[in-house]
Amino acid sequence: MNDVVGAPGGTASPDDEILLADIGRFLDELDPPPDDLVQRVQFALALENLDVEVARWERLDAYAGVRGSGTGTITFTVSDLTVMINLTKIGKLHRIDGWLVPAGQHDVEVRVAEHGTTSTTADEGGRFVLDNIPRGTTQILVHLGDVSCRRTVVTPTVVL
Amino acid sequence: MHAARAGDRQAMDRLVAELTPLVWHVARANGLDRTVAEDVVQTVWLALFSQLEKLRDPKALAAWLITTTRREATHPYGRRTQPVPLSDEVAESMPSMNPAPEDEAVRADRDRRVWRAFVRLPNRCQELLRLTVLAGRAEYQLVAEALRMPRGSVGPTRGRCLDQMRDLLASEGGSR
Repeated sequence: MNDVVGAPGGTASPDDEILLADIGRFLDELDPPPDDLVQRVQFALALENLDVEVARWERLDAYAGVRGSGTGTITFTVSDLTVMINLTKIGKLHRIDGWLVPAGQHDVEVRVAEHGTTSTTADEGGRFVLDNIPRGTTQILVHLGDVSCRRTVVTPTVVL
Repeated sequence: MHAARAGDRQAMDRLVAELTPLVWHVARANGLDRTVAEDVVQTVWLALFSQLEKLRDPKALAAWLITTTRREATHPYGRRTQPVPLSDEVAESMPSMNPAPEDEAVRADRDRRVWRAFVRLPNRCQELLRLTVLAGRAEYQLVAEALRMPRGSVGPTRGRCLDQMRDLLASEGGSR
């Protein structure tokens, strides 16, 4: 039930054991989860209300390197909403220019680990601006609908 | 998991720490590049915690994570960028990990061939072998339980995957 690979007296042939040991080494040395992934998931889950929809990120090839570079455009989508954000690095801070499609005066929040939350409301055209956003592990939330039928869409956290 | 359902933050964090490698390796085995895999890992966890009340059986948790990750990995919408082939992506990082001395170079060469054979396996085989390795480690007890792996046995399906890997190695002129 528990320890399988390389268990003493196991039935695995030596060849199997060698290959599995190789794969084990590869998983640790070549393809481990990123060091900060567990913390980022934990940050993403530390939302007050977990009744949310998660957006799928879509990155255009030209901006594939946006992570950590401090500038670029990221698009993310979830069922019936697309959010585009454009990042501009200003010193140690970010300015986020965003656009919601379809447009709507929705509340937008950005959470940055250890820096709390900044919020704003999109204008009639779906545009919003968030200024002076600290860099770091970041997640964006969009609150849709009115009081009677409120939905929240969140992005995975990324390091911006 | 019962504690996590009740909103116990520490229990939640422990589950995430213990099972994130499982989700990661399923995502990677199913052809996602490392960047997309990072997002999928988070998507899967958020999906889990937003419907935790529907998941009654704690033992089903790892199995649920595996199934959901596979589904996310093959979701056609929003995954339009073609992932970099795993072999190329990782091969780039290999020389720097294996410094120059002769013995090291020989080992690095063998590693490259074994890794290439591994990433040419069908997704299901890669996934099974990655999870087999995780399940063999004491800290991933939940993975072993999810796979219901009998003690000391590699099992017929895993054996076939390893045979296939040996064939791929041999066809490249690699050593066993």
